[in-house]
Amino acid sequence: MISVGVVLSGCFKLDDNLYNAEKIDGYQLDDFDGEQDFVLDDSYDVPSHLINIFSLNSQMASESTPTTIYAVYIGDVNRIKTDTVIMYCHGNKSHMDFYWQRAKLLANVREKNNYGVLMIDYRGFGMSEGKSSEEGMYTDVNTGLNWLYQNELTNDRLIMYGFSLGTAPACELAANTRNMVPSKLILEAPFASAEVVVQDASVLAMPASFVTSLQIDNAEEIKKINQPFLWIHGTTDKKNSFNTHGQVVYDNYKGSYKESIIVQGAGHSDVQVIYGFQKYCKDVDSFIKK
Amino acid sequence: MKSINKLLKFIRIIALLIFFQSCAPSRVVRPLKKGEMQVSVNWGGPLLGFAGTTIPMPLSSISYAQGVTNEVTLFGGFHSTALLYGVFQTDLGACLSLYHPDSSQFGISVNPVINMAYDKWEGNFKLWPEVDISTYWEFQPNKSFVYLGVSNWFELTSERAHEQTQENRWLINPHLGYTYIRKNWNYNIESKWLVPNVNTKPNVVDYKGLNGKGGVGIYFTLTRKL
Repeated sequence: MISVGVVLSGCFKLDDNLYNAEKIDGYQLDDFDGEQDFVLDDSYDVPSHLINIFSLNSQMASESTPTTIYAVYIGDVNRIKTDTVIMYCHGNKSHMDFYWQRAKLLANVREKNNYGVLMIDYRGFGMSEGKSSEEGMYTDVNTGLNWLYQNELTNDRLIMYGFSLGTAPACELAANTRNMVPSKLILEAPFASAEVVVQDASVLAMPASFVTSLQIDNAEEIKKINQPFLWIHGTTDKKNSFNTHGQVVYDNYKGSYKESIIVQGAGHSDVQVIYGFQKYCKDVDSFIKK
Repeated sequence: MKSINKLLKFIRIIALLIFFQSCAPSRVVRPLKKGEMQVSVNWGGPLLGFAGTTIPMPLSSISYAQGVTNEVTLFGGFHSTALLYGVFQTDLGACLSLYHPDSSQFGISVNPVINMAYDKWEGNFKLWPEVDISTYWEFQPNKSFVYLGVSNWFELTSERAHEQTQENRWLINPHLGYTYIRKNWNYNIESKWLVPNVNTKPNVVDYKGLNGKGGVGIYFTLTRKL
């Protein structure tokens, strides 16, 4: 009876729901007037000559031809060989315009336009071609890291920052390094694993495979990471629960140094707003300088 | 295009909810007479917020019941929505009459149930027992009855993902229902307050509970007597 049911069964999965991507024809950055989590005032503006939008060829092992993805680098490309650079892995929404304010804030962490920031649109997001997938996301972020490497960034000046969905590639590529090894890891509103998402929703301890084939498992990957780790999370996060997601990842870290920024009353997307932009910049910078 | 994307997202979210409403409505509350048989189609699920409105989940299942004696009815259910996700989910149980003297319009029944699910992707299997206790009142004998009771789900494992403690081992779901009886068909509506002892806020799914507790579910059942 079971085998009959299995044969007749369909193939709906939750996987695609992870990617809330939106296709666009061009990036607007500061001119973007769509929904955003926050908008910075003029004091955080980045001069246009320090904003570089470009495309990269990203190729998974299973692909016969590369996929074109888009990236924005905030900073002077010629100074990557000496600058500290934050690789910012954005969340699951829309495209880079939506996350532009967050990337811009990071570029102002120490002083105006001090750190370089690289952000990419994973395949399927914004102008990046292709279909979103877990492996594609890791490949695309690694393609961004390779671009930094080619521009002579060294491991000791690479900071990996992941927000929400972006904590998956940030964690994966810090734990299972390819060309570059980040010197520090920052995870904002991380999720523990696909299994926790399912179990939070179902209340019972259901296997994740009942609804998803995603293998994302930050709670396990973090155990392999030795680099200093900063965890940032709002206590009232409704998407990735503070307790069942973030705290588990933080507790599982066994590396050299860890610290946390716990923002009381903040949800998934307003940590910087509730905590205060200046305080956020100061504390992130303090961690990077350690 | 956006509305299509919202619809697709909605369909996918159903997957997350399949197990929250796992037991569907009560299969049988008033035991069937010996030899009676019936097939039911159930539709409904917990209410949740989606795209600015509140909707019941359109989850479905099919069940069969047969009276073995006047006091014992066996039944089995098959969760058709779960099958769309490659999960074979079923529930098997019995409705046992605890109290129903011939002279009374009141009755009490208990349903021991085994819920099982198996996915074709990784071959994971899950089993969780359930015990439902209901009292019913045939205020219009042979025409309709109302019932009130509680479903109890039991989580057998003490550990959830990442060696974390599984806090919710006994899940309580009070239910209230009404059945309208016709010659060949029965029509039923039931509401469940799913896990009112569990905080469901915050959660990745916007369950509509009371004061952030549990989720309220609404179920419709159409029964064909054979």
